[in-house]
Amino acid sequence: MTDLFLFQLRRVGRNKQYLFFTVLLPALFTIFFTQVIGGQVPAGEFQDLAGAVLVSMMAYGAIGAALGATIRMAFDRSSGWLRQLRVTPVPAGSVFAVDVLVGALLVLPSLVVVALVGRFVNGVEFGLGTWVALVGSLWAGSVVFVALGVAVGLALDAQAAGAAIGILGTVLAALGGLWFPVEMFPGGMVTLARALPSYWFAELGRDVAAGTFTGAPVLVLAGYGAVFAAAALVVARRRPLHAVAG
Amino acid sequence: MPETPALDVRGLTVRYGDVTAVHDLTLAVPRGETVALLGANGAGKSSVVNAALGLFRPAAGTVRLLGREPTAALQAGGVGAMLQHGGLPSEARVGEVLALVRRRYADPWPLADLAATAGIGGVLGRSVDALSGGQRQRVLLALALAGAPPLLLLDEPTSAMDVEGRQAFWATMRDLAGRGHTVVFATHHLDEADAVADRVVVVDGGRVVADGTAAAIKSRIGGRTVRFRCPGPRDGLSGLPGVTGAGGDGDWVELATSDAEATLRALLAGHDALPDLEVRGASLEQAFLHLTSTADGALR
Repeated sequence: MTDLFLFQLRRVGRNKQYLFFTVLLPALFTIFFTQVIGGQVPAGEFQDLAGAVLVSMMAYGAIGAALGATIRMAFDRSSGWLRQLRVTPVPAGSVFAVDVLVGALLVLPSLVVVALVGRFVNGVEFGLGTWVALVGSLWAGSVVFVALGVAVGLALDAQAAGAAIGILGTVLAALGGLWFPVEMFPGGMVTLARALPSYWFAELGRDVAAGTFTGAPVLVLAGYGAVFAAAALVVARRRPLHAVAG
Repeated sequence: MPETPALDVRGLTVRYGDVTAVHDLTLAVPRGETVALLGANGAGKSSVVNAALGLFRPAAGTVRLLGREPTAALQAGGVGAMLQHGGLPSEARVGEVLALVRRRYADPWPLADLAATAGIGGVLGRSVDALSGGQRQRVLLALALAGAPPLLLLDEPTSAMDVEGRQAFWATMRDLAGRGHTVVFATHHLDEADAVADRVVVVDGGRVVADGTAAAIKSRIGGRTVRFRCPGPRDGLSGLPGVTGAGGDGDWVELATSDAEATLRALLAGHDALPDLEVRGASLEQAFLHLTSTADGALR
Protein backbone atom coordinates (compact mmCIF):
# COMPACT_ATOMS: atom_id res chain seq x y z
CA MET A 1 0.00 0.00 0.00
CA THR A 2 3.00 2.28 0.60
CA ASP A 3 3.78 2.46 -3.09
CA LEU A 4 0.22 3.44 -3.94
CA PHE A 5 0.30 6.01 -1.14
CA LEU A 6 3.49 7.61 -2.43
CA PHE A 7 2.15 7.45 -5.99
CA GLN A 8 -1.00 9.36 -5.03
CA LEU A 9 0.92 11.84 -2.89
CA ARG A 10 3.26 12.61 -5.77
CA ARG A 11 0.32 13.18 -8.10
CA VAL A 12 -1.37 15.69 -5.81
CA GLY A 13 1.97 17.34 -5.17
CA ARG A 14 2.32 17.99 -8.91
CA ASN A 15 -0.97 19.84 -8.96
CA LYS A 16 0.07 23.50 -8.77
CA GLN A 17 -3.50 24.66 -8.34
CA TYR A 18 -3.91 22.45 -5.29
CA LEU A 19 -0.72 23.77 -3.69
CA PHE A 20 -1.73 27.33 -4.48
CA PHE A 21 -5.19 27.12 -2.93
CA THR A 22 -4.29 25.02 0.12
CA VAL A 23 -0.90 26.39 1.13
CA LEU A 24 -0.02 29.64 -0.59
CA LEU A 25 -3.41 31.33 -0.54
CA PRO A 26 -4.17 30.74 3.18
CA ALA A 27 -0.64 31.92 4.01
CA LEU A 28 -1.07 35.09 1.94
CA PHE A 29 -4.52 35.72 3.46
CA THR A 30 -2.99 35.36 6.93
CA ILE A 31 -0.53 38.14 6.18
CA PHE A 32 -3.02 40.28 4.28
CA PHE A 33 -5.85 40.23 6.84
CA THR A 34 -3.52 40.72 9.78
CA GLN A 35 -1.55 43.59 8.25
CA VAL A 36 -4.53 45.40 6.71
CA ILE A 37 -6.96 45.16 9.63
CA GLY A 38 -4.15 45.14 12.18
CA GLY A 39 -3.20 48.69 11.18
CA GLN A 40 -6.64 49.92 12.26
CA VAL A 41 -6.79 48.42 15.78
CA PRO A 42 -5.10 49.77 18.88
CA ALA A 43 -1.64 48.30 19.49
CA GLY A 44 -2.88 46.39 22.55
CA GLU A 45 -5.39 44.44 20.45
CA PHE A 46 -3.01 43.45 17.66
CA GLN A 47 -2.01 40.13 19.25
CA ASP A 48 -5.66 39.09 19.66
CA LEU A 49 -6.44 39.99 16.06
CA ALA A 50 -3.35 38.26 14.66
CA GLY A 51 -4.16 35.14 16.68
CA ALA A 52 -7.80 35.11 15.52
CA VAL A 53 -6.82 35.53 11.86
CA LEU A 54 -4.21 32.81 12.25
CA VAL A 55 -6.70 30.27 13.61
CA SER A 56 -9.29 31.15 10.93
CA MET A 57 -6.74 30.78 8.13
CA MET A 58 -5.42 27.50 9.51
CA ALA A 59 -9.00 26.25 9.45
CA TYR A 60 -9.57 27.63 5.95
CA GLY A 61 -6.41 26.02 4.57
CA ALA A 62 -7.13 22.71 6.27
CA ILE A 63 -10.69 22.55 4.91
CA GLY A 64 -9.47 23.33 1.39
CA ALA A 65 -6.70 20.73 1.61
CA ALA A 66 -8.98 18.00 2.96
CA LEU A 67 -11.71 18.64 0.37
CA GLY A 68 -9.33 19.16 -2.53
CA ALA A 69 -7.40 15.95 -1.95
CA THR A 70 -10.44 13.73 -1.54
CA ILE A 71 -12.89 15.15 -4.09
CA ARG A 72 -10.20 14.26 -6.67
CA MET A 73 -11.51 10.70 -6.46
CA ALA A 74 -14.17 11.82 -8.92
CA PHE A 75 -11.48 12.66 -11.50
CA ASP A 76 -9.90 9.23 -11.21
CA ARG A 77 -13.23 7.57 -11.66
CA SER A 78 -14.23 9.69 -14.67
CA SER A 79 -10.90 9.12 -16.39
CA GLY A 80 -11.35 5.35 -16.10
CA TRP A 81 -8.20 4.97 -13.98
CA LEU A 82 -10.08 3.39 -11.07
CA ARG A 83 -11.64 0.85 -13.44
CA GLN A 84 -8.24 0.16 -14.90
CA LEU A 85 -6.75 -0.39 -11.43
CA ARG A 86 -9.61 -2.72 -10.68
CA VAL A 87 -8.43 -5.11 -13.41
CA THR A 88 -4.88 -5.21 -12.05
CA PRO A 89 -3.76 -7.00 -8.88
CA VAL A 90 -3.79 -3.66 -6.99
CA PRO A 91 -6.37 -4.34 -4.25
CA ALA A 92 -9.50 -2.24 -4.75
CA GLY A 93 -9.95 -1.47 -1.06
CA SER A 94 -6.50 0.02 -0.72
CA VAL A 95 -7.26 2.62 -3.40
CA PHE A 96 -10.02 4.05 -1.25
CA ALA A 97 -8.01 3.87 1.98
CA VAL A 98 -5.04 5.57 0.36
CA ASP A 99 -7.11 8.51 -0.87
CA VAL A 100 -8.45 9.03 2.66
CA LEU A 101 -4.93 8.88 4.11
CA VAL A 102 -3.54 11.24 1.48
CA GLY A 103 -6.37 13.68 2.21
CA ALA A 104 -5.64 13.55 5.93
CA LEU A 105 -1.89 13.93 5.47
CA LEU A 106 -2.08 16.86 3.07
CA VAL A 107 -3.89 18.95 5.65
CA LEU A 108 -0.67 19.12 7.62
CA PRO A 109 1.49 21.28 5.29
CA SER A 110 -1.32 23.79 5.08
CA LEU A 111 -1.64 23.99 8.89
CA VAL A 112 2.11 24.18 9.45
CA VAL A 113 2.83 26.81 6.80
CA VAL A 114 0.04 29.10 8.05
CA ALA A 115 1.24 28.60 11.64
CA LEU A 116 4.81 29.51 10.66
CA VAL A 117 3.64 32.59 8.80
CA GLY A 118 1.54 33.61 11.81
CA ARG A 119 4.46 33.14 14.14
CA PHE A 120 7.30 34.64 12.12
CA VAL A 121 5.60 37.16 9.83
CA ASN A 122 2.77 38.37 12.02
CA GLY A 123 4.50 37.77 15.35
CA VAL A 124 1.76 35.73 17.01
CA GLU A 125 3.04 34.61 20.40
CA PHE A 126 1.76 31.28 21.72
CA GLY A 127 3.59 28.89 24.00
CA LEU A 128 5.14 25.86 22.30
CA GLY A 129 2.50 23.58 23.85
CA THR A 130 -0.27 25.76 22.42
CA TRP A 131 1.26 25.65 18.93
CA VAL A 132 1.50 21.89 19.05
CA ALA A 133 -2.03 21.51 20.47
CA LEU A 134 -3.40 23.93 17.87
CA VAL A 135 -1.89 22.13 14.89
CA GLY A 136 -2.73 18.72 16.39
CA SER A 137 -6.36 19.49 17.22
CA LEU A 138 -7.06 21.09 13.83
CA TRP A 139 -5.37 18.19 12.10
CA ALA A 140 -7.55 15.73 13.98
CA GLY A 141 -10.67 17.84 13.38
CA SER A 142 -9.98 18.00 9.64
CA VAL A 143 -11.06 14.34 9.43
CA VAL A 144 -14.62 15.73 9.27
CA PHE A 145 -13.80 17.46 5.98
CA VAL A 146 -11.94 14.45 4.65
CA ALA A 147 -15.16 12.49 5.15
CA LEU A 148 -17.19 15.25 3.48
CA GLY A 149 -14.76 15.30 0.54
CA VAL A 150 -14.98 11.54 0.13
CA ALA A 151 -18.79 11.66 0.07
CA VAL A 152 -18.79 14.49 -2.48
CA GLY A 153 -16.04 12.92 -4.57
CA LEU A 154 -17.90 9.63 -4.76
CA ALA A 155 -21.20 11.29 -5.59
CA LEU A 156 -20.14 13.71 -8.33
CA ASP A 157 -18.71 13.41 -11.82
CA ALA A 158 -15.45 15.09 -12.74
CA GLN A 159 -16.87 18.39 -13.92
CA ALA A 160 -19.19 18.92 -10.98
CA ALA A 161 -16.47 17.75 -8.61
CA GLY A 162 -14.01 20.30 -9.99
CA ALA A 163 -16.50 23.06 -9.29
CA ALA A 164 -17.45 21.60 -5.90
CA ILE A 165 -13.88 21.78 -4.57
CA GLY A 166 -13.79 25.56 -5.01
CA ILE A 167 -17.40 26.33 -4.17
CA LEU A 168 -17.69 24.12 -1.10
CA GLY A 169 -14.44 25.42 0.39
CA THR A 170 -15.39 29.04 -0.27
CA VAL A 171 -18.93 28.73 1.08
CA LEU A 172 -17.81 26.91 4.22
CA ALA A 173 -15.10 29.51 4.81
CA ALA A 174 -17.14 32.62 4.06
CA LEU A 175 -20.38 31.62 5.82
CA GLY A 176 -18.57 29.87 8.67
CA GLY A 177 -16.85 33.11 9.65
CA LEU A 178 -13.32 32.20 8.57
CA TRP A 179 -12.74 35.21 6.33
CA PHE A 180 -14.72 37.70 8.39
CA PRO A 181 -15.48 36.94 12.02
CA VAL A 182 -19.10 36.07 12.86
CA GLU A 183 -19.14 39.13 15.19
CA MET A 184 -19.41 41.19 11.97
CA PHE A 185 -22.36 39.11 10.66
CA PRO A 186 -26.03 40.22 10.83
CA GLY A 187 -28.25 38.13 13.15
CA GLY A 188 -29.60 35.56 10.70
CA MET A 189 -26.16 34.89 9.27
CA VAL A 190 -24.84 34.14 12.74
CA THR A 191 -27.41 31.36 13.13
CA LEU A 192 -26.37 29.98 9.74
CA ALA A 193 -22.68 30.17 10.62
CA ARG A 194 -23.27 28.27 13.84
CA ALA A 195 -24.95 25.50 11.85
CA LEU A 196 -21.83 24.92 9.72
CA PRO A 197 -18.99 22.51 10.56
CA SER A 198 -16.45 25.12 9.46
CA TYR A 199 -17.55 27.46 12.25
CA TRP A 200 -17.09 24.75 14.87
CA PHE A 201 -13.78 23.71 13.36
CA ALA A 202 -12.46 27.26 13.81
CA GLU A 203 -14.12 27.37 17.24
CA LEU A 204 -12.09 24.31 18.19
CA GLY A 205 -8.94 26.18 17.17
CA ARG A 206 -9.97 29.31 19.08
CA ASP A 207 -10.66 27.24 22.21
CA VAL A 208 -7.28 25.54 22.03
CA ALA A 209 -5.47 28.82 21.32
CA ALA A 210 -7.19 30.51 24.27
CA GLY A 211 -6.71 27.51 26.52
CA THR A 212 -10.47 27.45 27.26
CA PHE A 213 -11.45 23.98 26.15
CA THR A 214 -15.25 23.58 26.27
CA GLY A 215 -15.88 20.34 24.42
CA ALA A 216 -18.80 21.73 22.43
CA PRO A 217 -16.82 22.01 19.16
CA VAL A 218 -15.61 18.43 19.54
CA LEU A 219 -19.15 17.13 20.00
CA VAL A 220 -20.54 19.06 17.03
CA LEU A 221 -17.62 18.05 14.80
CA ALA A 222 -17.95 14.41 15.82
CA GLY A 223 -21.64 14.57 14.85
CA TYR A 224 -20.83 16.08 11.46
CA GLY A 225 -18.05 13.55 10.95
CA ALA A 226 -20.45 10.69 11.59
CA VAL A 227 -23.03 12.12 9.18
CA PHE A 228 -20.47 12.67 6.40
CA ALA A 229 -18.90 9.25 6.87
CA ALA A 230 -22.33 7.60 6.73
CA ALA A 231 -23.13 9.58 3.58
CA ALA A 232 -19.85 8.46 2.03
CA LEU A 233 -20.64 4.83 2.80
CA VAL A 234 -24.12 5.07 1.30
CA VAL A 235 -22.79 6.69 -1.89
CA ALA A 236 -19.91 4.20 -2.13
CA ARG A 237 -22.35 1.35 -2.03
CA ARG A 238 -24.53 2.87 -4.76
CA ARG A 239 -21.72 4.00 -7.01
CA PRO A 240 -18.68 1.74 -6.71
CA LEU A 241 -15.37 3.41 -7.49
CA HIS A 242 -14.91 1.42 -10.66
CA ALA A 243 -18.35 2.25 -12.07
CA VAL A 244 -18.39 4.14 -15.35
CA ALA A 245 -18.99 7.83 -14.81
CA GLY A 246 -22.67 8.71 -14.78
CA MET B 1 -8.83 -34.80 -16.04
CA PRO B 2 -9.25 -31.92 -18.50
CA GLU B 3 -7.54 -28.67 -17.60
CA THR B 4 -9.85 -25.89 -16.31
CA PRO B 5 -10.65 -23.49 -19.14
CA ALA B 6 -8.95 -20.10 -19.17
CA LEU B 7 -12.35 -18.45 -19.48
CA ASP B 8 -15.52 -20.20 -18.44
CA VAL B 9 -18.76 -18.28 -18.79
CA ARG B 10 -21.99 -20.09 -18.01
CA GLY B 11 -25.54 -18.85 -18.44
CA LEU B 12 -24.43 -15.22 -18.31
CA THR B 13 -27.28 -12.71 -18.36
CA VAL B 14 -26.60 -8.99 -18.10
CA ARG B 15 -29.34 -6.42 -17.68
CA TYR B 16 -29.18 -2.63 -17.62
CA GLY B 17 -32.55 -1.61 -16.23
CA ASP B 18 -35.13 -3.05 -18.62
CA VAL B 19 -32.61 -3.77 -21.36
CA THR B 20 -31.12 -7.25 -21.49
CA ALA B 21 -27.68 -6.88 -23.05
CA VAL B 22 -26.58 -10.51 -22.71
CA HIS B 23 -28.97 -13.48 -22.80
CA ASP B 24 -27.97 -16.70 -21.08
CA LEU B 25 -24.58 -16.79 -22.82
CA THR B 26 -22.25 -19.72 -22.34
CA LEU B 27 -18.67 -19.73 -23.59
CA ALA B 28 -15.63 -21.77 -22.63
CA VAL B 29 -12.17 -20.89 -23.89
CA PRO B 30 -9.49 -23.55 -23.37
CA ARG B 31 -6.01 -22.43 -22.38
CA GLY B 32 -3.77 -21.31 -25.19
CA GLU B 33 -6.60 -20.44 -27.58
CA THR B 34 -6.98 -17.08 -29.30
CA VAL B 35 -10.65 -16.19 -29.53
CA ALA B 36 -12.36 -13.22 -31.16
CA LEU B 37 -15.70 -12.07 -29.83
CA LEU B 38 -17.02 -10.62 -33.04
CA GLY B 39 -20.07 -8.41 -33.08
CA ALA B 40 -21.44 -5.04 -34.11
CA ASN B 41 -21.47 -2.17 -31.64
CA GLY B 42 -24.10 -2.89 -29.01
CA ALA B 43 -24.02 -6.65 -29.63
CA GLY B 44 -23.09 -7.26 -25.99
CA LYS B 45 -19.34 -7.91 -26.36
CA SER B 46 -18.30 -5.33 -23.77
CA SER B 47 -20.92 -6.55 -21.35
CA VAL B 48 -19.48 -10.05 -21.62
CA VAL B 49 -15.92 -8.80 -21.10
CA ASN B 50 -16.83 -6.50 -18.20
CA ALA B 51 -18.88 -9.19 -16.47
CA ALA B 52 -16.05 -11.68 -17.02
CA LEU B 53 -13.73 -9.24 -15.25
CA GLY B 54 -16.14 -8.90 -12.34
CA LEU B 55 -16.70 -5.18 -12.94
CA PHE B 56 -20.37 -5.68 -12.14
CA ARG B 57 -22.54 -8.43 -10.83
CA PRO B 58 -24.47 -10.12 -13.66
CA ALA B 59 -28.22 -10.72 -13.38
CA ALA B 60 -27.54 -14.44 -13.73
CA GLY B 61 -24.77 -16.87 -14.54
CA THR B 62 -21.25 -17.56 -13.38
CA VAL B 63 -17.80 -16.60 -14.62
CA ARG B 64 -14.51 -18.34 -13.84
CA LEU B 65 -11.14 -17.06 -14.97
CA LEU B 66 -8.48 -19.78 -14.79
CA GLY B 67 -10.85 -21.66 -12.49
CA ARG B 68 -11.33 -18.79 -10.01
CA GLU B 69 -13.75 -15.99 -9.28
CA PRO B 70 -12.87 -12.96 -11.48
CA THR B 71 -11.69 -10.75 -8.61
CA ALA B 72 -9.58 -13.53 -7.12
CA ALA B 73 -8.03 -14.31 -10.50
CA LEU B 74 -7.20 -10.63 -11.04
CA GLN B 75 -5.72 -10.25 -7.56
CA ALA B 76 -3.60 -13.33 -8.12
CA GLY B 77 -2.13 -11.72 -11.22
CA GLY B 78 -3.41 -14.29 -13.69
CA VAL B 79 -5.33 -11.90 -15.90
CA GLY B 80 -4.42 -8.84 -17.93
CA ALA B 81 -7.17 -6.67 -19.38
CA MET B 82 -7.73 -3.75 -21.68
CA LEU B 83 -11.08 -2.07 -21.13
CA GLN B 84 -13.03 0.09 -23.49
CA HIS B 85 -13.50 2.66 -20.75
CA GLY B 86 -10.18 2.18 -19.05
CA GLY B 87 -8.02 5.19 -18.36
CA LEU B 88 -4.78 6.52 -16.95
CA PRO B 89 -4.19 8.78 -13.94
CA SER B 90 -3.57 12.48 -14.52
CA GLU B 91 -0.44 14.12 -13.08
CA ALA B 92 1.56 10.89 -13.26
CA ARG B 93 4.42 9.76 -15.46
CA VAL B 94 4.07 6.69 -17.65
CA GLY B 95 6.98 4.96 -15.92
CA GLU B 96 5.42 5.53 -12.48
CA VAL B 97 2.10 4.06 -13.54
CA LEU B 98 3.82 1.05 -15.02
CA ALA B 99 5.99 0.56 -11.91
CA LEU B 100 2.92 0.71 -9.64
CA VAL B 101 1.27 -2.17 -11.48
CA ARG B 102 4.41 -4.23 -12.26
CA ARG B 103 5.32 -4.31 -8.58
CA ARG B 104 2.15 -6.29 -7.86
CA TYR B 105 3.27 -9.28 -9.85
CA ALA B 106 5.59 -11.90 -8.45
CA ASP B 107 7.27 -12.28 -11.81
CA PRO B 108 6.62 -9.17 -13.92
CA TRP B 109 7.55 -8.83 -17.56
CA PRO B 110 11.05 -7.26 -17.64
CA LEU B 111 10.59 -3.51 -18.02
CA ALA B 112 12.76 -2.84 -21.06
CA ASP B 113 11.23 -5.72 -22.98
CA LEU B 114 7.71 -4.78 -21.90
CA ALA B 115 8.20 -1.17 -22.98
CA ALA B 116 9.61 -2.30 -26.32
CA THR B 117 6.80 -4.79 -26.88
CA ALA B 118 4.10 -2.25 -26.11
CA GLY B 119 5.96 0.40 -28.10
CA ILE B 120 6.24 2.91 -25.25
CA GLY B 121 10.01 2.91 -24.72
CA GLY B 122 10.20 6.57 -25.69
CA VAL B 123 7.45 7.88 -23.40
CA LEU B 124 8.28 6.30 -20.01
CA GLY B 125 9.39 9.65 -18.60
CA ARG B 126 6.51 11.56 -20.10
CA SER B 127 3.45 12.76 -18.23
CA VAL B 128 0.31 10.76 -18.96
CA ASP B 129 -1.47 14.03 -19.71
CA ALA B 130 0.86 14.65 -22.68
CA LEU B 131 0.18 11.37 -24.51
CA SER B 132 -1.63 10.98 -27.82
CA GLY B 133 -4.62 8.65 -28.11
CA GLY B 134 -2.52 5.90 -29.67
CA GLN B 135 0.18 6.26 -27.02
CA ARG B 136 -2.39 6.03 -24.23
CA GLN B 137 -3.72 2.84 -25.77
CA ARG B 138 -0.23 1.38 -25.87
CA VAL B 139 0.37 2.30 -22.22
CA LEU B 140 -2.90 0.52 -21.37
CA LEU B 141 -1.61 -2.45 -23.33
CA ALA B 142 1.62 -2.37 -21.30
CA LEU B 143 -0.45 -2.38 -18.09
CA ALA B 144 -2.39 -5.42 -19.34
CA LEU B 145 0.85 -7.21 -20.19
CA ALA B 146 2.78 -6.06 -17.09
CA GLY B 147 2.57 -9.42 -15.36
CA ALA B 148 2.84 -11.50 -18.53
CA PRO B 149 -0.48 -13.02 -17.40
CA PRO B 150 -1.64 -16.37 -18.81
CA LEU B 151 -5.03 -14.88 -19.77
CA LEU B 152 -5.58 -11.64 -21.68
CA LEU B 153 -9.07 -10.14 -21.99
CA LEU B 154 -9.11 -7.27 -24.44
CA ASP B 155 -12.10 -5.09 -25.29
CA GLU B 156 -11.68 -3.40 -28.68
CA PRO B 157 -7.94 -3.10 -28.00
CA THR B 158 -6.98 -1.40 -31.25
CA SER B 159 -9.76 1.19 -31.41
CA ALA B 160 -7.43 4.19 -30.97
CA MET B 161 -4.51 2.80 -32.98
CA ASP B 162 -3.40 3.65 -36.49
CA VAL B 163 -2.70 0.95 -39.07
CA GLU B 164 0.94 0.46 -38.06
CA GLY B 165 0.02 0.35 -34.41
CA ARG B 166 -2.61 -2.27 -35.10
CA GLN B 167 -0.21 -4.45 -37.05
CA ALA B 168 2.40 -4.26 -34.29
CA PHE B 169 -0.28 -4.99 -31.71
CA TRP B 170 -1.48 -8.14 -33.45
CA ALA B 171 2.06 -9.32 -34.04
CA THR B 172 2.53 -9.10 -30.25
CA MET B 173 -0.69 -11.01 -29.63
CA ARG B 174 0.31 -13.75 -32.08
CA ASP B 175 3.65 -14.01 -30.36
CA LEU B 176 1.98 -14.32 -26.94
CA ALA B 177 -0.47 -16.88 -28.26
CA GLY B 178 2.46 -18.81 -29.66
CA ARG B 179 3.95 -18.93 -26.17
CA GLY B 180 0.78 -20.43 -24.70
CA HIS B 181 -1.06 -17.34 -23.50
CA THR B 182 -4.82 -17.31 -23.90
CA VAL B 183 -6.07 -14.23 -25.74
CA VAL B 184 -9.75 -13.32 -25.82
CA PHE B 185 -10.57 -10.11 -27.63
CA ALA B 186 -13.76 -8.30 -28.55
CA THR B 187 -13.78 -6.61 -31.91
CA HIS B 188 -16.03 -5.37 -34.66
CA HIS B 189 -13.20 -5.59 -37.20
CA LEU B 190 -13.78 -8.68 -39.30
CA ASP B 191 -10.26 -8.61 -40.68
CA GLU B 192 -8.79 -8.75 -37.16
CA ALA B 193 -10.96 -11.70 -36.22
CA ASP B 194 -10.15 -13.44 -39.50
CA ALA B 195 -6.41 -12.86 -39.32
CA VAL B 196 -5.67 -13.40 -35.65
CA ALA B 197 -8.19 -15.70 -34.01
CA ASP B 198 -8.10 -19.50 -33.86
CA ARG B 199 -11.77 -19.29 -33.17
CA VAL B 200 -14.42 -16.69 -33.84
CA VAL B 201 -17.46 -16.34 -31.61
CA VAL B 202 -20.06 -14.21 -33.33
CA VAL B 203 -22.20 -12.32 -30.82
CA ASP B 204 -25.42 -10.64 -31.80
CA GLY B 205 -28.21 -9.33 -29.62
CA GLY B 206 -26.40 -10.66 -26.56
CA ARG B 207 -26.33 -14.23 -27.85
CA VAL B 208 -23.74 -16.43 -29.52
CA VAL B 209 -24.95 -16.90 -33.10
CA ALA B 210 -21.89 -18.74 -34.44
CA ASP B 211 -18.80 -20.28 -32.90
CA GLY B 212 -15.95 -21.88 -34.84
CA THR B 213 -12.88 -21.18 -36.93
CA ALA B 214 -13.16 -18.27 -39.34
CA ALA B 215 -13.17 -20.81 -42.20
CA ALA B 216 -15.97 -22.83 -40.62
CA ILE B 217 -18.06 -19.73 -40.11
CA LYS B 218 -17.53 -18.64 -43.70
CA SER B 219 -18.55 -22.08 -44.92
CA ARG B 220 -21.71 -21.97 -42.86
CA ILE B 221 -23.39 -19.75 -45.40
CA GLY B 222 -22.35 -22.33 -47.98
CA GLY B 223 -22.29 -20.11 -51.03
CA ARG B 224 -19.46 -19.49 -53.47
CA THR B 225 -18.66 -16.61 -55.70
CA VAL B 226 -17.76 -17.22 -59.36
CA ARG B 227 -15.88 -14.36 -60.94
CA PHE B 228 -14.56 -13.87 -64.46
CA ARG B 229 -13.92 -11.26 -67.11
CA CYS B 230 -16.65 -10.86 -69.68
CA PRO B 231 -16.45 -7.93 -72.09
CA GLY B 232 -19.33 -9.19 -74.25
CA PRO B 233 -23.06 -9.56 -73.67
CA ARG B 234 -24.16 -10.98 -70.32
CA ASP B 235 -27.68 -12.11 -71.11
CA GLY B 236 -28.94 -15.10 -69.24
CA LEU B 237 -26.20 -15.25 -66.62
CA SER B 238 -28.58 -14.80 -63.71
CA GLY B 239 -30.69 -17.67 -65.04
CA LEU B 240 -27.85 -20.22 -64.86
CA PRO B 241 -28.26 -23.18 -62.50
CA GLY B 242 -27.40 -22.41 -58.89
CA VAL B 243 -27.01 -18.67 -59.37
CA THR B 244 -28.60 -16.64 -56.58
CA GLY B 245 -27.39 -13.25 -57.68
CA ALA B 246 -25.40 -11.56 -60.42
CA GLY B 247 -23.30 -8.43 -60.31
CA GLY B 248 -19.88 -7.10 -61.15
CA ASP B 249 -18.16 -3.95 -62.21
CA GLY B 250 -16.43 -2.98 -65.44
CA ASP B 251 -15.45 -6.07 -67.36
CA TRP B 252 -15.89 -8.25 -64.30
CA VAL B 253 -18.89 -10.42 -63.64
CA GLU B 254 -19.58 -11.81 -60.22
CA LEU B 255 -22.11 -14.57 -59.68
CA ALA B 256 -23.20 -15.69 -56.25
CA THR B 257 -24.12 -19.34 -56.38
CA SER B 258 -25.38 -22.05 -54.08
CA ASP B 259 -24.01 -24.76 -56.40
CA ALA B 260 -20.71 -23.70 -57.88
CA GLU B 261 -20.22 -26.90 -59.84
CA ALA B 262 -23.54 -26.68 -61.70
CA THR B 263 -23.00 -23.01 -62.40
CA LEU B 264 -19.53 -23.66 -63.82
CA ARG B 265 -20.68 -26.53 -66.03
CA ALA B 266 -23.37 -24.35 -67.55
CA LEU B 267 -20.97 -21.43 -67.96
CA LEU B 268 -18.30 -23.53 -69.65
CA ALA B 269 -20.87 -25.07 -71.98
CA GLY B 270 -22.05 -21.67 -73.13
CA HIS B 271 -18.75 -19.79 -73.37
CA ASP B 272 -15.62 -20.51 -75.38
CA ALA B 273 -13.43 -18.56 -72.99
CA LEU B 274 -13.78 -17.41 -69.38
CA PRO B 275 -10.70 -15.26 -68.81
CA ASP B 276 -9.41 -14.88 -65.23
CA LEU B 277 -11.96 -17.30 -63.83
CA GLU B 278 -12.01 -17.52 -60.03
CA VAL B 279 -14.18 -19.45 -57.61
CA ARG B 280 -14.06 -18.16 -54.05
CA GLY B 281 -15.68 -18.93 -50.76
CA ALA B 282 -17.77 -16.33 -49.01
CA SER B 283 -15.89 -13.66 -47.05
CA LEU B 284 -16.22 -13.46 -43.29
CA GLU B 285 -18.06 -10.24 -43.84
CA GLN B 286 -20.74 -11.94 -45.94
CA ALA B 287 -20.99 -14.69 -43.37
CA PHE B 288 -21.21 -12.17 -40.55
CA LEU B 289 -23.95 -10.13 -42.20
CA HIS B 290 -25.85 -13.29 -43.03
CA LEU B 291 -25.55 -14.67 -39.49
CA THR B 292 -26.43 -11.48 -37.67
CA SER B 293 -29.32 -10.58 -39.97
CA THR B 294 -30.96 -13.98 -39.47
CA ALA B 295 -30.50 -13.71 -35.72
CA ASP B 296 -32.13 -10.30 -35.85
CA GLY B 297 -35.01 -11.76 -37.80
CA ALA B 298 -35.43 -14.53 -35.24
CA LEU B 299 -35.72 -11.99 -32.46
CA ARG B 300 -38.55 -10.08 -34.05
